[in-house]
Amino acid sequence: MRKTITAAVAVLATGLIATGCTSPSTTATAGTDAPETLVVYSNSVSDGRGDWLKKEADIAGFKLRLVDLGGGDIRNRLLAEKANPIADVTFGLNNVYFESLKKAKVLDAYTPSWAGKVDASAGDEAGKEYWPIVREPVMLVYNKAAYTKPDQAPSDWPDLWTKKQFAKRYEVPSDLGGATTQMVLAGILSRYRDDKGDLGVSQAGWDAVKAYFQDGVPAVPGTDLYAQIAAGKVDAGQMWLAGKATREQQYKVSTEAAHPKTGVPMVVQQVGLVKGTKKSAEAKKFIDWFGSAKVQAAWSKQFQTVPTNKDALAQADPAAVSATDSFTEQAIDWAFVAQHLDQWIEKIELDYLAN
Amino acid sequence: MNGSARRMLRSPLVLVTGAVLLWFVFAFLVFPNLVMLREIFFPDGSFSTRAFAKLWSSDRARASLRNSFLLAAVLSVTVNVVGVFIVLATRYFALRGARLLWLGYATTLVYGGVVAVSGYTFVYGEHGFATRLLLDIFPGMDPAWFSGGPAVAVVMTLTGTSHHLLFLTSALARVDHQTVEAAQQLGASSWRILRQVVLPVLKPTLFAVTVLTFLGGLTAFAAPQVLGGRDFQTITPMILTFAGIPSSRDLAATLAVVLGVATLILLTVLNRMQAGGTYFSVSKVPSALRRQRITNPVANAVVHVLAYALFAVYLIPPLLIVVFSFTNASTIASGRITPGSFTLANYRQVLTDAASSWPFVVSIGYAAVTASVVIVLMLFVARVLQKYVNPVTVAVEYLLHIPWMLPSTLTALGLVITYSVPRAMVGDTVLTGTLALLAIAYIAAKIPITLRMLKATYAGIPDNLEEAATLLGASGPHTFRRVLLPLVLPTAAAVSALNFNSLLDDYDTSVFLAHPLYEPLGIAIQNATRSEGTSDNTALTLVYAVLLMAVSGLAMWFVYGRRAASRRTARRDRPSTAHPTSAADADAASLTRPTPTASH
Repeated sequence: MRKTITAAVAVLATGLIATGCTSPSTTATAGTDAPETLVVYSNSVSDGRGDWLKKEADIAGFKLRLVDLGGGDIRNRLLAEKANPIADVTFGLNNVYFESLKKAKVLDAYTPSWAGKVDASAGDEAGKEYWPIVREPVMLVYNKAAYTKPDQAPSDWPDLWTKKQFAKRYEVPSDLGGATTQMVLAGILSRYRDDKGDLGVSQAGWDAVKAYFQDGVPAVPGTDLYAQIAAGKVDAGQMWLAGKATREQQYKVSTEAAHPKTGVPMVVQQVGLVKGTKKSAEAKKFIDWFGSAKVQAAWSKQFQTVPTNKDALAQADPAAVSATDSFTEQAIDWAFVAQHLDQWIEKIELDYLAN
Repeated sequence: MNGSARRMLRSPLVLVTGAVLLWFVFAFLVFPNLVMLREIFFPDGSFSTRAFAKLWSSDRARASLRNSFLLAAVLSVTVNVVGVFIVLATRYFALRGARLLWLGYATTLVYGGVVAVSGYTFVYGEHGFATRLLLDIFPGMDPAWFSGGPAVAVVMTLTGTSHHLLFLTSALARVDHQTVEAAQQLGASSWRILRQVVLPVLKPTLFAVTVLTFLGGLTAFAAPQVLGGRDFQTITPMILTFAGIPSSRDLAATLAVVLGVATLILLTVLNRMQAGGTYFSVSKVPSALRRQRITNPVANAVVHVLAYALFAVYLIPPLLIVVFSFTNASTIASGRITPGSFTLANYRQVLTDAASSWPFVVSIGYAAVTASVVIVLMLFVARVLQKYVNPVTVAVEYLLHIPWMLPSTLTALGLVITYSVPRAMVGDTVLTGTLALLAIAYIAAKIPITLRMLKATYAGIPDNLEEAATLLGASGPHTFRRVLLPLVLPTAAAVSALNFNSLLDDYDTSVFLAHPLYEPLGIAIQNATRSEGTSDNTALTLVYAVLLMAVSGLAMWFVYGRRAASRRTARRDRPSTAHPTSAADADAASLTRPTPTASH
C-alpha cells in the first residue's frame, strides 16, 4: 500500500511540475517556422461561432486559440494580466468595456487595413485602440398576444413604469452583470444626464430607475424571459436582436419589439490589439483579415449579424440588416456612460434592485 | 517559548514540512491577498472607509446580510437534525433496506448548486408535480406556495447533509460496541445510550460539520436567488456582482470579510467547547459497532416511515433532472411532459463535438491532483496542529482559513496580479499563464475544509495508541504510518472525494486562472449555457449536470463502493478480529483508490 501511495504522489508531483512550467508564451515562441498561435479572448464565440471562426482562420493561415468568457470576466482577466498579457487579440466586447480597457492602458493603437470602411466614431475615434465590427440593437420586446391592439403595447421603456397597466407585467433583471442589462440601464439613465446630479444623473433619472425596478417582476436565474412570457408571468422584457427569433421558436410565442422615437441602444462589438503581445505582427494580420469585408459578410450570413464594414453590408444577411435598420439608434454619449457605468451599477445594486 | 513549541522543533520532519507550509501560506494565501486588498482599499495610498458607509446606508445590503445570517443559524440546526437522523438511520439502527436508503441520501454528494434547486422546483415549484397534486386536493391554494425563506431553508437543508453523510458516518464507525453493550447491560434505554455514549464520540465531527453548514448558509447563492423572492435575498449575489466591478471591489471584500470573521468566531467558540473533552472509546480492546434494533414497535415504525419518506424526498429531484435532461427548454419551463417531449438532441449537441471530452479530462486531472496534494499535506499538518498547541501553530491554523474569508473571485485575481511579474518568492518566475497557478488556487481553496475534518478526526484518536507504539520502540514516522494513518483514512478518503467532486465544475476560479489550452469543465459549461447566447440553453445545463453526476458518482464508487466490497471480504477472512488497526486496514486500502483517476 505504501508503495502505491509513494508512486502515486511521485507521478502527480512530476506531472504537476512538468506541465506547470510551460507557459503559453514560451511554447508559442519556441517554433518560429510554424504559424504562431494567437490567443484570442472573446465573448462572441459561443453557439458554434468559435468553431466556424477557427476553421476559416485555419484556411487563411492563422492558428487560433479562443478563450470564451463572459464580457465582464474578459475585462477583469485582461486587467489582471496587464503586466504579462496572455491574450494577443480580443473582440466582441462593447465600446463601454473597451473604453475601460483603454483607460487601463491594456490596448495598443493599431489602424486596420479596413479602417476606412467603418464609421470610426462608433469605435475609438481619437485613440485608434479599438475598432467596430458588428452592431446589434438592444430591444424592449413584448408578447403580441397580450395586447389586442398594437397601440396598447408599451412603445418605450418609460411606459413600463409610468403607465399603470404595465405594472408587475414586465421582467426586470435580477443580476446586473450582463452586458444587455447594462445597455438597457445606460439607455434609460442617459436620458436624464445632469452634471450636477448624483453620478451625472438627475434625481428624476434615479426615481425612474427606482420605479422601473419596483414595478417589474425580477428575473429568476435559470428561467428565460421567453419561458416566463410563455407561462403568462410577464408580457415584456429586454432582448437582443439575435436572441429573439430562436426563442420565439423554442417557446412558440410571437413577440414584437418596441420602436421608440428616441431610438434604442445600439451595441457595437469591437476588436482590439492587446498591448504587450509578443506576436504583434501576426495579431495585426489577423485583425486585418477578421474585419475584412469578405470575412464579415460570411460571418453575417452564418450568424445573422450586421457588420459595420460598409463593403460587407451589401453581401450581409439581408433579414438581420433590415431588422437592425428598422431601429433608430439612440443618441448616447458613450464616453459619459463609460465614465459612470460601474458606479451606476453599484448604486442600483445597493439601493434599487427589486429582489 | 513553551514546552509544546520546543518539543515540536525537535522533530526534523516537522521542521522541514513546517518550513514548506509557511512558505506556501505566505506565498499563496497571505501575500497575493494582501496585494489585492491593498489595491482595493488603498487605491491611491490612503485608506478609505467608503465601503462601510455605502453598505451601512443601503437597506438592501443590510436586509440581505441579515437574511444570510438568519439562514446560516437556521441551517446549523436543521441540517444537523436531518443529517444526524440519516446517518443513524443508515449506520446505527438496524433498518430494513439501509443500503438502499443510503444510496438515496447520497444523491446530494453528486449534484448541487442551481441544478439542485431546479430539481426541487420540478417537484414543488409552481408547475411542479407535488404542487399539481396539492392543487387537485386544495383548489384554492397558491401555486407559488414553495417560495420565500422557508422554501430556501428546506431545499438547503435537504441538499446540505452531504458532510454529515460522509464524515459523521466515519466518526460513527469509531464508536466502541462494547461501551454500547455495557450500557445496555446496565439497563440504559436506547435513547440514553444514543445521547450519552454515542453522541459524545461524534462531537468533534459534529462541531466541524456545523462550521461547514454555517459557512454554507452564509454564502448561500442559488437557492435564495431562485426561491427567495423579494423578501428573502442573501448577500452572496451582491458580493459576486461587486467582485466583478473593479471600482466596487472594496464593497465585495468588506462583505466577504464580515462573513469570514463570523465563521471564524463560530470556529473559535466550537474549538473552545471541544478542548479538554474525551472523544474516544475508553475500553482497551474496542470492537466494531453493530447495528441496533429498535425494540419499541411504535418507534420502529415511525423511524421506518420517516426514513423512507426522506428517501423519496431526496431521490425524486435528481431523478427528474435526469428525465428533463432529455426534453427541450419549453418542456423544462412548463414542467409538463408528454411522450412527444423527449429528445436526444441535447446529448447529441454536448457529446458529438470533438472537443467536448477535453474539458472533462482537464477538470478530472486538476481535481485529482488537487485532492491528492491537499490530503497528503493536510494529513500531516492537521496532526501537527492538533498535537502541538502554541502561538505559532494557532496562528498558522487561522492563516490556513484565509480562503474562507474572501470570495474566490478576489483570491483568483490576487494570484493573477501578484504573479504576472517575476517574484523572488517563487524563484523569479512568472506564474500567470502556467498550468500550476490554477492548481495552486485549487489547493489553497480546499485547505480549510480538509484541515477541519482531519483535525476533528485526530481529536477522536486516543493518545495512548501513539504512546503504546512509542513504548514498543516504533519511530515517529512509523507510528504515524502504521497506527494513526489507518484510523484517519476513512475521513481522508471522504474529504478527498468531496474535494474532487466540488472542483469538477468550478467556474469562479478557473475563469481567471485557466490556461488557454487547458480549459476546465466549468468554463465549457458556462459557455454552452450562458444566457446571452442565441438560444435558451437550459436543457444543456441539465445535460451537463447529468454528466457531472456520472463522474462524481464514479468517484464516490471508487471511495465507497469498492471499500464496502473489500470490507465484506475482510470480514469473511477475519470474522472475529476487531482491534482498530486490522479493522481499519480494509479502510486503508481505499486511500489508494481515489488516485487511479489521476492517470486519466
